[in-house]
Amino acid sequence: MTSIDVRDLTKEYGTRRAVDHVTFDVRPGKVTGFLGPNGAGKSTTMRLVLGLDRPTSGTATIGGRPYAALTEPLRHVGALLDAQAAHGSRTARDHLRALAASNRIPAARVDAVLAESGLASVARHRVKTYSLGMRQRLGIAGALLGDPEVVLLDEPSNGLDPEGIVWIRELLRRLAAEGRTVLVSSHLMNETASFADHLVVLGRGRLLADTPMRDFIDARVQPHVRIRTTDAGALKSTLAEHGLDAVEQEEGHWTVAHARVEEIGTLLSAAGVPILELTFTEGTLEQAYLDLTATETEFTAPHQEA
Amino acid sequence: MAFTPVFHSEWIKIRTLRSQVAALATIVLLTTLFSALAASDTGGDDFDPLFAVFFGVAFGQIAAIAFGTTAVSSEFQGGALRVSLAAVPHRGRWFAAKATAIAVPVFAVGLVTGVVTLAVGKAVLGAEADGLGWAEQVRGVVGCAVYLTLMALLAAGLTAVLRSGVATLSIVIPFLLIVSFVVGDASSDLADLLPDRAGQVALHETWDGAMGPWTGLGVTALWTAAALAAGAWSVRRRDA
Repeated sequence: MTSIDVRDLTKEYGTRRAVDHVTFDVRPGKVTGFLGPNGAGKSTTMRLVLGLDRPTSGTATIGGRPYAALTEPLRHVGALLDAQAAHGSRTARDHLRALAASNRIPAARVDAVLAESGLASVARHRVKTYSLGMRQRLGIAGALLGDPEVVLLDEPSNGLDPEGIVWIRELLRRLAAEGRTVLVSSHLMNETASFADHLVVLGRGRLLADTPMRDFIDARVQPHVRIRTTDAGALKSTLAEHGLDAVEQEEGHWTVAHARVEEIGTLLSAAGVPILELTFTEGTLEQAYLDLTATETEFTAPHQEA
Repeated sequence: MAFTPVFHSEWIKIRTLRSQVAALATIVLLTTLFSALAASDTGGDDFDPLFAVFFGVAFGQIAAIAFGTTAVSSEFQGGALRVSLAAVPHRGRWFAAKATAIAVPVFAVGLVTGVVTLAVGKAVLGAEADGLGWAEQVRGVVGCAVYLTLMALLAAGLTAVLRSGVATLSIVIPFLLIVSFVVGDASSDLADLLPDRAGQVALHETWDGAMGPWTGLGVTALWTAAALAAGAWSVRRRDA
């Protein structure tokens, strides 16, 4: 199985350090979300992995080899970097045919990925007639062309309609389930939460997190039970008897950390405490991400490159 | 990676763009049109029947240059080069395939252009063309094709260095239309070494400079080789 290994990778443009001693692995069989604000170095890292930019120091390898050492690389690695890369005056089909020919990929794959991306009916239209969402689909079709075991997608949901968002989510889940290595950058939290298993977070070129998504959220936002009642005194005392600490929130509801609804519901019911609402609330990726950004100077520094 | 699939890919890129195909057709049209005009004026002491027939090459070369330029400049739009180099990480090989995919059609169209402009020019010249021998006519046709190919490649190399078609054309076209004419009129020996003047010796029946037709094309080839080497260096060294 093929993983992407980034080791102490650094890229400087003049005096600006776009990627700063970053080390992480992207493992097969799961979707790794690549998060960070604009200018954090996500796209630069992807270009370095693909051998398009030369690192200042450090290495990025795929299956232990630098990208440039791969023979017919599209058969191993598929990438979407920029939806505008296809020439507007060429048809989608011709664009992919040229790409396929360079790596001796059979022409049948062109029609297969066009169908898979939902572009079969417009395959012979020129790309300049395409919407951003259709160009995005064409870029993804190009990434899948060589049936690669490693897939890198830079902001694939950009410009996609709701149907397209669902499509890309299911596609990413399927690619991971097939045992492929999938790295997807995004700055949309809810979107990333819907498909990622693992997270790599960059801020101003530095690695801020490299953890499973669930751990990332749970470490930063405690799951809790949310309760509303008309008898706050009874609620508090009943829970205190069982060693549970109810905290009153500004909006007038109470929260109990490290608890389960089954437990609290039974307790309160037995004690006859009137309940208006009882829900279990898990932290969201967005909350966890914002918590991280609040604590990291990488995000709050006044000078933020776009 | 082998060269052939990469060349095949670059060839698909060229033939699937209408503007590229149109540029090739324009080479034939411009050359023949201006040759026909020139052949209709046979006055003057320095009348050269072969050059009268191939005079239009000075205009047809603009289409060849546009062809070579756009074939490369399209890679510098919207991140197209990144897609190309992700598919073919051997950048030197990629650039060689690109240059070959430019050279082959221009040379083929150049031969057609030579034959057509010769036929049309001779028809217009009438009896004035009787002095042209077979060897000279063949030299003119082949010289026309080689010259157009070298100019297209010169532009391609320059575009890879400048990373912009507009920049390339705004240097090369004024150079050919203005600088070369002005400097050429001074007719110094140095001006004869300019890529267009050196290469066009091959299109003349007689010449007075030190360079013959094939040495002249050799000088143009040196300019082209320098431009391609600079282009290859730029593609290999710079971040895509």
